[in-house]
Amino acid sequence: MGLNKMALDLSTNKYADVSYEEKERLFAEVKADARWNHVMYGCYECGICVAACPSARFYDFSPRVIAQAAAREDVDLVYTLMNDSVWDCSQCFSCDRCPRQNSPGQIITIMREVAVKNGLKTAKQALEGYGRIIYKIMSTGTQVSPDMLQPNAFPDWGGHVKEISDNLEVWRKALPPETLHTTETGWQITDKTIVELYLIWHMTGVMKLIEGVDEGLFMILVDVMEERLADAGYDDVSFD
Amino acid sequence: MIHLPVVKAVDRKFEANPDEAPTEDIRDAVLQLEKEGEWIVPRVPEPFMEEKTKFGRIKKIPVEKTWHHKSCGQCGHIPGYSTSIFWLNRAFGLDYHDPTDQTSCTAWNYYASATSNPEAQAAVAMRNFAAAYEVGYFPIIHCGTSFGHYKEVRHALVHQPELRRKVKKIMERLGKPMVMPEEIIHYSEWVLAMRKRIAERQLIDMSMITATVHPACHYHKLIEEDAIYDSEIYGAQRSAIITSTLQALGIKVGDYSTWFDCCGFGFRHILVSRDFSRSFSVQRKIEVMIEEVNPDITVTHDTGCVTTLDQSQFAGKAHGRKVGLPVLADSQVAALAMGAHPYKVLQLHWHNTDNTRFLEKIGIDHEKMWAEFQVEAEKIKRGEMPYLTWEDAEKNNLFNKIK
Amino acid sequence: MASENILVIGGGPTGMEAARGIASIGYKVTLVEKRERLGGTPDASQYAALTPDMRSAEEAIDEMAAAITNNPNVKLMFNTTVIDSSGSVGNFKVKAIQEGKEITIDAGSVIICTGFTHFDPGRETQKYGYYEHDDVITLVDAEKMLKAGNFVRPSNGEIPKQVCFIQCVGSRDRQIGNEYCSKVCCGISSKQAIEIRQHVPGCKVFIFYIDMRMYGYWENEIYWPAQEKYKVNYVKGIATEIVKKGDKLLVKGEDTTLRRPMEVLMDIVILAVGMEPSEGTKKVADIFGVKKNKYGFIETIGGALNTVSTDVPGVFAAGAATGPADLEDCVSSAGAAAMKAIASLRLTSVPA
Repeated sequence: MGLNKMALDLSTNKYADVSYEEKERLFAEVKADARWNHVMYGCYECGICVAACPSARFYDFSPRVIAQAAAREDVDLVYTLMNDSVWDCSQCFSCDRCPRQNSPGQIITIMREVAVKNGLKTAKQALEGYGRIIYKIMSTGTQVSPDMLQPNAFPDWGGHVKEISDNLEVWRKALPPETLHTTETGWQITDKTIVELYLIWHMTGVMKLIEGVDEGLFMILVDVMEERLADAGYDDVSFD
Repeated sequence: MIHLPVVKAVDRKFEANPDEAPTEDIRDAVLQLEKEGEWIVPRVPEPFMEEKTKFGRIKKIPVEKTWHHKSCGQCGHIPGYSTSIFWLNRAFGLDYHDPTDQTSCTAWNYYASATSNPEAQAAVAMRNFAAAYEVGYFPIIHCGTSFGHYKEVRHALVHQPELRRKVKKIMERLGKPMVMPEEIIHYSEWVLAMRKRIAERQLIDMSMITATVHPACHYHKLIEEDAIYDSEIYGAQRSAIITSTLQALGIKVGDYSTWFDCCGFGFRHILVSRDFSRSFSVQRKIEVMIEEVNPDITVTHDTGCVTTLDQSQFAGKAHGRKVGLPVLADSQVAALAMGAHPYKVLQLHWHNTDNTRFLEKIGIDHEKMWAEFQVEAEKIKRGEMPYLTWEDAEKNNLFNKIK
Repeated sequence: MASENILVIGGGPTGMEAARGIASIGYKVTLVEKRERLGGTPDASQYAALTPDMRSAEEAIDEMAAAITNNPNVKLMFNTTVIDSSGSVGNFKVKAIQEGKEITIDAGSVIICTGFTHFDPGRETQKYGYYEHDDVITLVDAEKMLKAGNFVRPSNGEIPKQVCFIQCVGSRDRQIGNEYCSKVCCGISSKQAIEIRQHVPGCKVFIFYIDMRMYGYWENEIYWPAQEKYKVNYVKGIATEIVKKGDKLLVKGEDTTLRRPMEVLMDIVILAVGMEPSEGTKKVADIFGVKKNKYGFIETIGGALNTVSTDVPGVFAAGAATGPADLEDCVSSAGAAAMKAIASLRLTSVPA
């Protein structure tokens, strides 16, 4: 069950079609993030992050190369990594033990956010097949629901998933905590709670972010949210 | 007996000194901001328990009046996990609150897809903290990622006044106060702090059981200074979480060489790059545990870890790998030790890897227990009862042969 | 009335050299030492050979001690700990406890030579398991074994086949709060690596490092011979964690030059622990009201041009009390401090 390791191409002409100015603009956006100065100091290449990194064992992925590229402010290389490398990270933050106090994992969080915000093609590719999850979390406030346990969604988990999905209604009711009898959400959530969550998505620009990366998903979410927000008396949900 | 001018590890004693801590105590800053009127800081309800964190600082852990911040993955896919936590509270007669005014922390999505931002993440956290405050209970967080993420949020809110201002504005719009609890508590810290009381009520002997422990990355690697450490466990060089609890129940904890490794969850990987999760989980964790320790169970304390370590073994088996190790949460082990029903409470039928050998080893007639569960399930199916109540789950619960 | 006496606090190499220097010019010096004998850390920690010349540490320390023992200008006070000070340059009244009794020492000027302490690897952010595994030891432990001429695995007494050093433990680390380089560990590790290769020729020795800091002659006297003659393996990339695997230690790190994760089994792992200010340095600095830097070492005020004066007139500091220092640094700064202490005494005793 080994993985095909795709070799990471770090040559400078990898994204020659994208202008240096554009790459510079994106890197500037990364560096402007409020977290940047607490997650990127400098790198003397001790390799502690790599040995701690699960992704480095299965992909041609290196948190050290990411930190090093960022530290050198190598605009071309940062752009390449932002496209070809950041989505391999497991976000476990094992690399937080860096003696320079860098957090390659958080550098990646920021880079991913900028990639999504700017609708990079590679970000869209990375999120392909992921839309249903975003839909679930944004519309219901729980990311994983019992009804997601369907055999076609988890073929590699074996016949056990079918057994659960066949018995789902009964097994959910056979849970003593009163809040857990749900199937479409992880637990029972009040309408007011959901409306408050929708407000947060709108007021913090997350809806805009979704629009940039997946317009279809955005339309569906707006559809779901609009009425409930209006019913709750929230017509203007913008944030200055 | 060899005589060397070197002290053996067993005689090297390390006691962390909080005065030498290299980091600020963020809780001081939280209280300072309370003085400045930035937020309300609900105190850990008394009487609280105390455990030490990495640098020897004291962390207060509530006994009761707890507001259970549930986990989407636990409640959705391994619901016996949360059920066991509640069962333990009920078994001790403790006052707790299982809220419906609670969203997930949404960090799973954030770490997977980046389709969010720090303001939204902080606002979600503060909304939940405010909801707990409004009903007068103290948050206790079931998920390792929520726990770690909320600590990151606390850190960001303390150090970024601009972020605080934005979140405050959102909270005003929601009609909610700014609330930052005195401590951020993971449920497994509560289980650990309660370990002696749990052991006093232990009905099932587990002294013949060997376990391996997998600590969740987001528990002990995100803001690691806040994790529980103990000078008696791993020489205070790694977190004592889970290990301390299991040892108190008489379980032997075996060490293995990939203890620090993650489970393979990977946030987006478990959803859309599952080959990575499967391979890592089987090759770097389960197989190593079996080869080096050959344990009866592996015990962890987080949503993603239980799911990944448990579910990945199916594909591992198909590939002829060395698998077949039951995966449980510490809350399930603790509840089981106190006599909780393996199916009505632990809900082990939601787990994938066969755990019957483990149950047999501790003397549980799992076939009889499963039949008991099925009787209730059939009643629900026939519409004779709407759902399994706590009373239903608790009757026949303490194994007759032991009582 | 101004005192003609100079007080030296600390009987390690720095204090011994400062006292020798003062006495050789004909001034009176009182040396107080909290232990029962001279020698300081090289003696207390049983150093074997000095870096870089491999001279016996014991022999060198004995030579330094001999120069101030039975010297009419030197008064040695053992088992003595300074507890308080009043007065100012030319006229310090220093209180100390000597074997349970409080005494007062008059001094015109003071030299603080209270040195360093080895970093305690229990405080690591990296997971090296010093408090978990017998075969994880420090440079200090290894030095003691080398001095005893018995370099074996502490867990079972067997002769090791693979040994590694991990550099920068407790140094160059923002998370621990010790951003500085401890200066001597690269050299000492390389020196010990050579000694291990001499003692146990069949043993492979690795040094995992971030940057090898081999200044001046240390390069040709230790680093190159270690590589070329003794075939010590230098690998750029330090370990992330050390765990037990069977009865061996599994060291996980990255070979950064070759860009590959590295997992190697070792019989003994030696942590190259760095320097931190000793408890004595921090306490004595407070007693004299001398400014410390953020790490707790005594801050000297003259930059590169004056490495021994503190912000308190008449109080000087030398050696590892002011920051990481090798023996050469200690002896050099001790001489400078002796000269400045005498000068300050002469200036205060001569009417302006």
